[in-house]
Amino acid sequence: MDLTPNDEQIALQTATADWCRDHMPLAGARSRSAGLWQQLHAMGWTGMTAPEMGLDHATEALLFAELGRFLAPVALLSTAVAARWTGAAGKTALALPAQEDVRILDGVEASRALGAFGDVLAGFPLDGQLSSMFSLDQSTTLARIARPAAIEPVDDPHALLHLQLLTAAYAVGCADAARDMAADYAKLREQFDRPIGWFQALKHLCSDMAVRAAVARSQLYYAACTLDADDRDAAFHIAAAKRLADQAALDNGRANIQVHGGIGMTDEAHPHLCLKRAHLLQFIVPADMAALLAA
Amino acid sequence: MDIGFSPEETRFREECRDWLHANVPAEKRPLDASDAIGFDKAWQRRLFDAGWAGINWPTDYGGRGLSIVQQVIWLEEYAKAHAPWIGANFVGINHGGPTLILNASEEQKAYHLPRILKGEAIWCQGFSEPGAGSDLAGIKTRGRIEGDELLVNGSKIWTSFAHVADWQELVLRTEEGSLRHKGLSWVICDMHAPGITVRPIRKMSGQTEFAEVFYDDVRIPLANVVGGLGNGWKVAMSTLSFERGTGFIADQVKQSQEIEELIAKARAKGMIKDDRIADSLAQMRSEVAAVRAMTYRNISEVLRTGQPGPEASVIRLFTSELGQRLKRMAVLLKGEDIIDFAYGDDDAVGDYLRGFAATIAGGTAQIQRDIIGERLLGLPKSR
Repeated sequence: MDLTPNDEQIALQTATADWCRDHMPLAGARSRSAGLWQQLHAMGWTGMTAPEMGLDHATEALLFAELGRFLAPVALLSTAVAARWTGAAGKTALALPAQEDVRILDGVEASRALGAFGDVLAGFPLDGQLSSMFSLDQSTTLARIARPAAIEPVDDPHALLHLQLLTAAYAVGCADAARDMAADYAKLREQFDRPIGWFQALKHLCSDMAVRAAVARSQLYYAACTLDADDRDAAFHIAAAKRLADQAALDNGRANIQVHGGIGMTDEAHPHLCLKRAHLLQFIVPADMAALLAA
Repeated sequence: MDIGFSPEETRFREECRDWLHANVPAEKRPLDASDAIGFDKAWQRRLFDAGWAGINWPTDYGGRGLSIVQQVIWLEEYAKAHAPWIGANFVGINHGGPTLILNASEEQKAYHLPRILKGEAIWCQGFSEPGAGSDLAGIKTRGRIEGDELLVNGSKIWTSFAHVADWQELVLRTEEGSLRHKGLSWVICDMHAPGITVRPIRKMSGQTEFAEVFYDDVRIPLANVVGGLGNGWKVAMSTLSFERGTGFIADQVKQSQEIEELIAKARAKGMIKDDRIADSLAQMRSEVAAVRAMTYRNISEVLRTGQPGPEASVIRLFTSELGQRLKRMAVLLKGEDIIDFAYGDDDAVGDYLRGFAATIAGGTAQIQRDIIGERLLGLPKSR
C-alpha cells in the first residue's frame, strides 16, 4: 500500500506541469489556438493512454490532474479513452447527449466523437466540418448535431469508468488552480494596510479550498488504484472521486472569485475561467446515485 | 501508487480478524470515565497479553516493532469487529507514548512505556488552561525551579480522564517572565502528588469525562522534564502532530462503519426514498471513502519521510466535521425519538451531543483552518 507518487511519477508530473506552463498557460484558455492540438499531438499527450504505452491509471490520474490545472482541451479526455479502448488515433471530440440532439464539445478538426449514452460509452464518426461556436467554457467550442442513427458502443464497462476517472482528474486540477490563484492573490493584495490573507475570514475561505482539493485528490488516487487493481468496488470509488472533484472544482471556483473581490468577476481576470470549466466538467459522466449507494 | 497489501500483511489482517472475533467483549463499555476505568484497564491488558498493544512501538518497551501499515490494518479490523473504544488509555497510547518515544530519556521510556501498553498507568493531557485553550502559547501555570525540583502552581481545564489518571503530560512555564512559546517545559506529572486537586466537569450529554486540575505547590522532580527544560513548545508540537495525525486513525476507520450502518438503517426505515437523505448519505459515503484515501496517503508519507505531512491538519479538520455530520444524520433518522433521550444515556443522541467536542478538542476547527492557511498555503500569520 502506498498512495504517494513514486519518483518516476513525480518526474512525469513535473514535466507535464512545466510543459503546460510554457505552452498552454491558463490565461490563454479564453481562446485556445487551433495549433495547440497539433502541439499536444506532437508531444505525445494525445497518445499516452494507448495500450502499448503501458501507463497505469494511477499515473494517468496524476498527469490529467496537471493538464486539468491548465484547463487543457476537453477533447483530450475523449481522445485518451478512445486511444485505449477503440484503437482510434487522431482527435476524438467529446459528445454530450441532450434531450433531442447531441452536443459536440471541442470538435474542431475531429473525425469522431465519443461520449456516455445512458450507461454505455459509445462513439460515432463526425461528417464534415461542424459549425462551432464558443460554449460557456470559452476554451471549448460547441456544436449541436442530430443524434446519429448508429452509434458504436464500447463493450468494456471499464471504458466508461476510465472517462469518469480522467474527468475527475481534470476537475481536481481545476480545483487546485482556483485554490492557488486565490492563495497567491491573498498574499499580494492589501487592504487595511495588510495582505488580505492575514484576515481569518479570507484565510479560512482559502483553507477550505485546500481541504476540498486535498479530499478530492486523495479519493482520485485511491479510485485510480481500484481501476488498476480491477477492484470490485471500482465503480463506487470512481463515482465518489467524480462527485468530490466536481464539488471541489465548483466550490473553489466560486470562492476564488470572492477572494478576488470586484476584479474577480471581471472578464479580464482569470477566476471565471476555472468556474466555467468546473460547470462544464460536472456534466461529463456525472456520478450517479445508484453507484454511490450501491449495496 | 497502489492499494494492495503484501501476503505478509494479508496474513496479519487475518490474524487480527480471528483474534478480535474470539475476544471482543460482549458487554458494552460504560460511558462515564469513572465507571469505565476498570473495563478500560482490563481490555488494554488483554490486548497487551495477546500482543496487540503498541503494534508499531519499539520492542524494547513492550511493543511489537511492526510497521505503521500493520498498525492501520489492526485498526481497520478493530473497527470492523466493533471492538470497544480504548477510552481512558487514549492519551497514553495515542500521544503520551509516541511523544515519549520521540523525546524522552532512556529511563523515562523504560519506566513509562511498558506501563502505558499494559494499561497499568492512565495518562491525561495538561495543555489547556482557563485562559488558554487553543492558544497554547498563552499558558500561565508555572513551575519554579527549586534545587532538583519544580514547584508548580496554577490550573488546567478540559483535562479528559484527569480524575482517573496516574500521570499527566503537563506543559508549564518554567522560565519566569518568559513570553508566548519561549520558556515552556513538557513534564511528566504524578497525578497522585500532594497539592493536586481534581474537580470533574459534567458534559451536556450527562457524562463526566473531563475535569479541572488545580496545582498548589506541587513538587515535580526535574528528572521528569521531557526533551530538556525550556523545550516544551517543540515537544508539545510533536504531541499535537500525533494528535492531529496518526492519533485519530481509529476514529477515521470507525466512520466507515458508521456510514454503512446509517445507510442500512435508512433503507430499513424506507427513509432512503427521501432524495435529500439519499443525497446526503451518498455524499457522506464518498467523503468517508476519501478519508480512508487521505489516511493511506498520510501513512505513505510517514513511511517515505518519517513523519506525517503538513496535510495532517486537513485530515483532522475534515474528519472532525464529517464525524459531526454523521452523528447529525443518525439523529435525523431517529426523528422525534430523540426526545426520549435521558441525560447520560448511551445512544445516537449521546454520541451526537458528545460529538461537539470533535471540532474543539486538540485545537478548534478555526485554529486548524489557520494552520492550513499558514503552513499549507503560506498565507501571512494572523497572530
